Amino acid sequence: MTPRKRYGMSIDIDKCNGCGACMMACAVENNVPPVPEAANDRKGITWIRVYRVDNHRAYPERRTAYVPVLCQQCGHDTPCVHVCPQQAVDVDPETGIVGQMPERCLGCRYCMVACPYHARYFNWWDPAWPAGMEKTLNPNVAPRMRGVVEKCNFCHGRWHAAQQKAAAAGKREIDAADYVPACVEACPTGALRFGDLDDPSTEVAHDAARPESFRLLEKIGTEPKIHYRSQRDWVRDIANAPHPDGKDQHRG
Amino acid sequence: MTTTRRNLLKFVGGGAAGALLTPAPWRLITDSALWSENWPGIPRPAHGGITARFTHCTLCPAGCAVRARCVAGQPVSLTGVKPHAVSHGALCPWGIAGHHLPYHPARVRQGPVKEATAAVAQAIAQRGTGEHVAVLDLRPGRTVSWTHRRAMAAINGGLYLTPRQPGYSIDLAAAKTVISFGAPLFDGWGTPGNVIAARSIFRLIQIEPVETRTAAMADLWLPIQPGSEFMLAAALAGNMTLAEAALITGVGEQALAAVQEAAESGQAVVLAADPASPLMSLNEKYGALGRTVVARSDAPMPEAWKQAAPEMSMAAAPDGAIRVLLIDESLPGGYIPWRRIAPKLAPDAVVVVFTSSNDGYARHAQFVLPAAVYPETAEDIGPAIDTVAAVFRIAAPLIAPVVPAVDPARFVERLAGLPASEPLRERAGAIHKAGRGTLLDYTAAKSTPVKDVTADNFWKTLSQGGCWMDDSAKRTAPENLVFPAAGEPPRDERPLTVVVAEPRRGGLESPLMSKLERESNLRLAANRVALSPDGARASGIENGDRAVLETAFGRLNVVVAIDPSVPAGVVEVAGGPRMADLCGGNGRARVVRA
Repeated sequence: MTPRKRYGMSIDIDKCNGCGACMMACAVENNVPPVPEAANDRKGITWIRVYRVDNHRAYPERRTAYVPVLCQQCGHDTPCVHVCPQQAVDVDPETGIVGQMPERCLGCRYCMVACPYHARYFNWWDPAWPAGMEKTLNPNVAPRMRGVVEKCNFCHGRWHAAQQKAAAAGKREIDAADYVPACVEACPTGALRFGDLDDPSTEVAHDAARPESFRLLEKIGTEPKIHYRSQRDWVRDIANAPHPDGKDQHRG
Repeated sequence: MTTTRRNLLKFVGGGAAGALLTPAPWRLITDSALWSENWPGIPRPAHGGITARFTHCTLCPAGCAVRARCVAGQPVSLTGVKPHAVSHGALCPWGIAGHHLPYHPARVRQGPVKEATAAVAQAIAQRGTGEHVAVLDLRPGRTVSWTHRRAMAAINGGLYLTPRQPGYSIDLAAAKTVISFGAPLFDGWGTPGNVIAARSIFRLIQIEPVETRTAAMADLWLPIQPGSEFMLAAALAGNMTLAEAALITGVGEQALAAVQEAAESGQAVVLAADPASPLMSLNEKYGALGRTVVARSDAPMPEAWKQAAPEMSMAAAPDGAIRVLLIDESLPGGYIPWRRIAPKLAPDAVVVVFTSSNDGYARHAQFVLPAAVYPETAEDIGPAIDTVAAVFRIAAPLIAPVVPAVDPARFVERLAGLPASEPLRERAGAIHKAGRGTLLDYTAAKSTPVKDVTADNFWKTLSQGGCWMDDSAKRTAPENLVFPAAGEPPRDERPLTVVVAEPRRGGLESPLMSKLERESNLRLAANRVALSPDGARASGIENGDRAVLETAFGRLNVVVAIDPSVPAGVVEVAGGPRMADLCGGNGRARVVRA
């Protein structure tokens, strides 16, 4: 039996410059298609989405931060697991990763309603790439069909590949360097880190224990495994406070 | 027992009711749903042997080192090369999806090659005295640029034109304070990995009207009134009091004093959004010349190449005298607004553009010829602004050309009657002959002094995506630090100042960029502008409305985003050729609801 892990991520918001490299790397790795011209930010599919947030003050005191939001990999009372009538969502006991099985999904979207982080996306259209571009698809990840929900799974295909590599080398445990999600690998500023939260020797466990670390909507008790951190008070406050103006967040 | 009609109906009805209690009909519903979901079919990723290949990205002059994961020889993902001394394993979002470009649906796939060749030959034969043949090279400094220059030297009256190019490099690692007048340090200014690696060394003061990505990452952002940058520079230069500058720029006097103190505390460097801006002359005052701002050094080249046409800016070209203009837009580069080019053309000029995109000069040329795109073709990348040592890196092709492309260098060579050559190999030979510097071999993950490598192995490694880097040389101050400022723009009463908040070079970009634009609004798309809530209200525009952006040079249909971080009186736009044609050099606009 492989030793159990509790994979998680730490995100340094003060380092994120909102370039979007994580979003592109994720879409390339996981065969997420471009949506048709008619689609907008509500119907797009971005397993990781960088939101632009601000301190609610008027120009020129207004300040911006970029917050990458992906499936928070809830560790307790995972809402999407509870509501799925098809058992299409499960939590892998070996890794703690919340997985989505599109072939079981019937597209009811209860999980999207239940997810407090808006980190699930529905396939409104057939997955389609411009002619010839399907040659660039990653063979380790199956494209999903229209009518199902999908979300971040910490690049589960990479975890399988790392396991196979370890098995081929006669090891029971994977080398941590062999399993890094695409977004973490692509982040040019090093704002994203990934690893086993239960292993105190990992950077991510160290980050999670820092005083400026926080999680999104911590108060609802879902125990997310994505740990954010920022030195700025107003950024940390956003994690638990709704936007006072409601709808003025137009650019992200 | 007789079978009556009633019994038959009872049996059928009972059977139908009973079937509902079995899984069969429900299964049929699920299957029908799945069949419809799968129609007309989902692409199947190809399978095959997995290999890693190396190249360099040509999408901007940074030329980051790239590791391609290939399945059956086809690149399926691109990542940076971690141990690289300059790019440090980083790639920007455009570079990450660069392998999609050959398949872009909007790519220029064919063009009238024979007709263009005949029209150019005829125009050259019929040109009058004083009429010129010119090449406009949007990305000077490449090896192919030297082919253009040699060809223009071989043609009587040949001109080699370029966008304004600074003859300097910036060593960010040698700076303690960076005073940036709108230079997009974290968004396309230099090599992303290099800038990020140096970030912990310097204090960044960003001076610009809107909070761009760079401003958001700065230690101090000074939100300045648009267009008042030169006043702030005058105050820093001591030609104006801080109080006067504060009134004009809208930046507090204390903040200005803090900038002045930081600038004069030593090891400060000034950067500007336009690398050839007169603002760069402040570096002389701060002693940055020869230390942080140094003369650009180029890789060695064959002696014979030095018989080449000199670089000339478009402004220096004679008016109405270019009879044939060949525009090499095969790589996106510094776009010159068409209104600056048009006056230079003779009345019956022939304009040919080599490009993969219909977005740039293809809108203005008579002949549009398809060019190869990254990563289809082998070519080197010119010098990056933040690399002090000379480098020579080849973008090794990762796939065979998807469309029959025209090589602009071959076209120009033939026009000038030069024999076909292998310029990349010739230059690699000259570098090897010079015998200095280091060869980086990503495949073997090692670096070797050039003197320890044979000429054949040197070329072989380079052509497989390797990199040559020169030894650190003596630093000298650049000769051409700034160019004269363009003339004062005509007075324009339009109410909004155009601010380019999203730098773009033009050219093709992956269809997946929709993730950052339409699907998330993280970046402004080329057809979107951002207005302040007050500005939008004044124009009767709601968020998401369609509108027309109107300047002195034309109109563009756009979608408006309302953004409270945009100051009143400003319209934020994304850069690129269309916006350069529409706004470049003026910067006043009006947004009208469509």
